[in-house]
Amino acid sequence: MDTGHSRVPSPSQLPTSFSKYHHPYFTSAEIQHLSEKQRGKLSATQEEKSRQQACAFIEAVGSKIGFPRKTLATAQNLYHRFHLFFPRKDFNYHDVALAALYVSTKMHDTLKKPREILMVSYAVRFPELAAKSKSVGGDVDMDPATAENDRQRVLAVERLILETICFNFTSKMPFSYVIKIGRKLQASKKLIKCAWRLTIDSHRTLVPIMYPPNTVALGCLYTASLLATLEPPPSPLAEAHTDSRVATILKEKGDWERTYMAEAEDLEEIAHVVIDLLIQAAQNPSANTSPRTPASPSPHPSPRNQQFSSTGTPQPPPIPYKADQLIRLKIMMRQNEHPPRPQQPLGSADPSELYNGNDIAMLGKNQGTVRFLFGPPGVVGQGV
Amino acid sequence: MQFLGLIRKLNASQQSIQKVVAFALKCFSKCGEDLWECIIEECQKGSINHRINILYFLDSLCETSLLAKAHQPPEQSSSSKQANTALYVDYVSRDLTQIVECVVPVGRQGLPNLPSTKQILENWRTKRIIEPQKVDEVLLLLSSRHSAPDTISTSAPSAAKPEPHLSRSEIFKRIEEDRERHKRLRERRWVQAQPHPGPAVPSSSTFVLASFLPLSDAENAELALDIEFENEWEATSDWNEDDVEVIAEERELCYPHLRRKGPVSDEEYGEQEMDIDLS
Repeated sequence: MDTGHSRVPSPSQLPTSFSKYHHPYFTSAEIQHLSEKQRGKLSATQEEKSRQQACAFIEAVGSKIGFPRKTLATAQNLYHRFHLFFPRKDFNYHDVALAALYVSTKMHDTLKKPREILMVSYAVRFPELAAKSKSVGGDVDMDPATAENDRQRVLAVERLILETICFNFTSKMPFSYVIKIGRKLQASKKLIKCAWRLTIDSHRTLVPIMYPPNTVALGCLYTASLLATLEPPPSPLAEAHTDSRVATILKEKGDWERTYMAEAEDLEEIAHVVIDLLIQAAQNPSANTSPRTPASPSPHPSPRNQQFSSTGTPQPPPIPYKADQLIRLKIMMRQNEHPPRPQQPLGSADPSELYNGNDIAMLGKNQGTVRFLFGPPGVVGQGV
Repeated sequence: MQFLGLIRKLNASQQSIQKVVAFALKCFSKCGEDLWECIIEECQKGSINHRINILYFLDSLCETSLLAKAHQPPEQSSSSKQANTALYVDYVSRDLTQIVECVVPVGRQGLPNLPSTKQILENWRTKRIIEPQKVDEVLLLLSSRHSAPDTISTSAPSAAKPEPHLSRSEIFKRIEEDRERHKRLRERRWVQAQPHPGPAVPSSSTFVLASFLPLSDAENAELALDIEFENEWEATSDWNEDDVEVIAEERELCYPHLRRKGPVSDEEYGEQEMDIDLS
């Protein structure tokens, strides 16, 4: 794990070249270590809130533009990865979210100019300005100097993000595996659809940068099958039967692990993380509405708001799962779980060495050569 | 009529298209039907190049109609006669077969317009601008027709009017126009369907978890999310050996114990590195 990188502070002693390699997935020990370093004075709760805000913002801007799910998912992954190496206190979450979105559009060839993405972000952040707009598309009339400033900041963060992925523009998404594996498991289309949605939501957690895409897909299929048990009858009998069979198969270790190259323990861990996310969202419905949820009713109710409640606050659709149902599900899961596997230790090298204070000092300083390697040592050949 | 003049002058440029689209939308409530009839007429009478220009114009018209509808305040749309329509989109849907038969007439003369027409139709299908069933019908019509080009040209000598040969400059112009238009279409190809927002789906729904959105059993997906899922469902192949290979590779990246052990030197993966010279 030697990166050929020494931690020497004085410029005269900086090596003339050093290497950084792309670390596509993180172990939970690494995530814990890195998060703690970046968290600073923030509590874990505050960190989580900030994370959800940013992910929701990416979702809002991205779906308004009409990006496919893979673009949004990767953007969220990039956001999570960024804050493993850079503290939230130094960055505005809008800048990071938009930069992540921009990099993602390049990775998935769903290109959009930063200026255009920025315009849509203004419409999301300032809906009242968008409503007043004269253009057909609802573009916000933003002061050009502000827009240009914002754009420059987004591009600056973009550069940092590119370095956190070592310029490796490949990414494998779990979505197609949800469908492929779901079909092979003979799950109902409805279950697969539900699992697909859970996969979308899983990108609001760090799961996709911890597990390979097939495991994430299986984890979401497993979670969907568990949630199906919460559904009040009558669901069509045949469907309920196949769905519970999926739950049974994936719960136990078996041949399927070899076929799909994943382990039952991982599916359980993923299910817990995803259900935690659902519980959190079910308990805090207001936290899930617009980042600019008005604290008091708007003094000028525009015609647009009349489809919402009389207070002018947007009403989200009724949540299909109750928090206490989900908590009971978790308890039930804990009751007959697989024994925990030995945790992968942190290893001798500090993963935050991938990007530490020295590097930030180096950025923009034009000294020496940096080698960006697309993969960890030992992974040789074929697109790495 | 003024509109007829505009349509006749329509060329392949974005500028020209936007101009006519704006006019058409402005006058929709007064004389939308009449304007529509002009469009159909021009489609039947114009040259082959003109007809494909009209089809691209219709594409822009549909897109802009839907955009305009999406930004209308809800109460307005329910009271006006635009209640359940998306302006011109319904006309396009209703007369789709007729339009396509004009733009891609039977025989060799229709061939230059065939690939672009298919592209536009598929775009309309993916984005649910026109219902997939309707688009499928028309696509079937086109493909069944063109599977037997020889019989058509020999068996109907009197049916087809003799098409004037395109001049050399017209051909080059057409090539350039096609290139520009394909480029533009490619830039928009990935954009997901933006279905008509109904009162059941408030604009804040994007902030809610996907799993919390109403899960309908119906195949007629209303949410952009579900439309994308349906498209993926149709397009995704079954689990096969290629997937096994891809996943095996990803697992190597994820789990160190799966990686090959051995001496790791710079030379070994020299080809994969990307040197960024910061000086």
